[in-house]
Amino acid sequence: MNGRFGKRLLTPLTSVLALVAALCVGAVVIALNGDSPIQAYGSLLAGSFSNMHYLASTLSSATPLIFTGLGVAVAFKAGMANIGAEGQLYMGAIAAAIVGIYLPLPGPILIPAALLASLLAGGLWGSVPAILKVRCSTNEVVTTLMLNYLAQLFTSYLVNYPLKAEGSALGMTVNIQEAAKLPILYAGSRLNIGFLLAAAAAVMIAVLFKYTSMGYEMRLAGENPTFARYIGVNTGRRMVQGMFLGGGLAGMGGAILVLGIQYKFVQDISPGYGFDGLTIALMAMFNSYAVLPISILFGALRAGGVTMELNTNVPSELSQVIQATIILFIAAQASFAGYLNDFVLRMRRSFDRRQKGGGEIGHS
Amino acid sequence: MDILDVLLTPSAFAATLRMAIPLLLVSLGGLLTKQAGIENIGLEGLMLIGCFSGFTINYYTSSWMMGLIGAMVCTILCALLFGVFVISLRAHEIVAGVALNVLGTGLTTYLLRAIFGVKGSFTDPRVMSIPEVKLEFLKEVPWLYNIVSGQSILLYISIIILILLQYMLYSTRFGYYIRASGENERALASAGVSVARIRYITLLLHGALCGLGGAFLSTGYLTQYVEKMSAGRGYIAMAAIAFGMAMPKRVLGSVLLFAFVQSLSNRLQICGYPSYFTDMIPYFITVVVLAATSYQSEKKRGRPA
Repeated sequence: MNGRFGKRLLTPLTSVLALVAALCVGAVVIALNGDSPIQAYGSLLAGSFSNMHYLASTLSSATPLIFTGLGVAVAFKAGMANIGAEGQLYMGAIAAAIVGIYLPLPGPILIPAALLASLLAGGLWGSVPAILKVRCSTNEVVTTLMLNYLAQLFTSYLVNYPLKAEGSALGMTVNIQEAAKLPILYAGSRLNIGFLLAAAAAVMIAVLFKYTSMGYEMRLAGENPTFARYIGVNTGRRMVQGMFLGGGLAGMGGAILVLGIQYKFVQDISPGYGFDGLTIALMAMFNSYAVLPISILFGALRAGGVTMELNTNVPSELSQVIQATIILFIAAQASFAGYLNDFVLRMRRSFDRRQKGGGEIGHS
Repeated sequence: MDILDVLLTPSAFAATLRMAIPLLLVSLGGLLTKQAGIENIGLEGLMLIGCFSGFTINYYTSSWMMGLIGAMVCTILCALLFGVFVISLRAHEIVAGVALNVLGTGLTTYLLRAIFGVKGSFTDPRVMSIPEVKLEFLKEVPWLYNIVSGQSILLYISIIILILLQYMLYSTRFGYYIRASGENERALASAGVSVARIRYITLLLHGALCGLGGAFLSTGYLTQYVEKMSAGRGYIAMAAIAFGMAMPKRVLGSVLLFAFVQSLSNRLQICGYPSYFTDMIPYFITVVVLAATSYQSEKKRGRPA
């Protein structure tokens, strides 16, 4: 009983510690390169938060990350190890692009239609491994991973052949209709209402899991499927639903890229947003509110990394090194938290024993 | 028919063998850990690290042998780091594997900038290519000569490794321990064998093989380092392992199949046909086969309603 309390306190702490440890590893890498870590980090921080323009670009790079982070978190909560957010994002992005380019709808309907299309496309793509897991108990880790590549290759085919914009050298579609472009929130940047949608989505997911029976059953199917089945929950169905929702959210992240940032689908549109989403979800311990600040942090790493590269000699890929370190420490955090927790428990037990006196020890 | 003429030539089969080398080495590495009960999805990252370190050490020493050894040392270190987190710290193996992939792409791109000061790709005459073996005595049989002669020495090394692994896994005590730590680690532990030790040793071999496979790409297949040049081969290796059910001979079969498909894609691309669908084949086959095999084993076990 005491253990639970300790763990609850310790896990957010270990997330912060993981970040600090990763920044230290990053500092060593920078120093080995012969640069000043303080200068590099300073420039990274300045390039992501120091003025409204930088802040806007941080938030706009954070927007797709919030969606993929939420998508992964929802799927994991429902018991699906979703490594496929990248592929779900691609399917959502291409669906949004097709609707945004070809559907002759007036403005106020066009954007919701495109977003809905991305939700459906990402959701259906995500449901495939879930259905395979439920029906055939196929390991979802491998299948989601493979589906990433299938989605990437499939969309590349589409934008290089049937949907290719004429005259372009790279594989890309034509621009979407004006009415499909997401309204900009801060002039001179690409920060758009997608960010608000992402924040709203985080709240909605939190509400779903906290206050609805559907969310409760999904969580139960993820945490304790045997018990869930015992009390009459259709766990398979809840898992597929969770994965549909998760895939749909990741797909909407792709829609934001198309409707709010690129205004078209470009081959290989995502620089790993899906995998970042996995890191974010893990760091957030699958809590949808926590996804928001962590996504902004990762958006800052992406946006500030570019400024850092311009102002210092440090390549922007440093942020990936930092990220990998964060993932490693987060992955081991249960164990770190466990060690700390065991330590606290042992201290308490020995304390209790001393309180009760030596009499009981003699009996056993 | 003219397409088939281009596709099924000796040079197409020679290309298949060349592409099979890195895939085979990395798949053999992955197969070992899978048998030992660790699923490493970080093959791609490890391979990339092998690619870069092999190239860099080759550049500084002008020796392909040193390049290979250096690559193996680097990837062994990374694999052991993965092991520390997964085995000793009980980190989630999938998550740690993702970290390995992110680290691989991030670190190699970072170091390419930091060491050589370039972005994209780098090549230098100081880098020695891994030698190729000419089999002059096969000249009498031209089609066989065209396929087999001039292949990298690593082809023969990887075949030897395959045979050794097959022998080790199924005919030695250590191989038995590896399989036991994957199938029933408790039984193994109760027999007094340290599962962690077996897994660490397996990871060591795993790292070495991924390093060899990676180094082949940058100093054998090409003599050039290109950013992210593993290009999904780590994932194809995962597919080959899953498709081959982690058994060396079957994995060899799936590697050859996937390598053939890859060479097919390249040919199609050269002829101006879209190669996207042929590129999809390994992933598609894997999903279908995984679903089918898991469905069958589930049916055998008798699924609870």
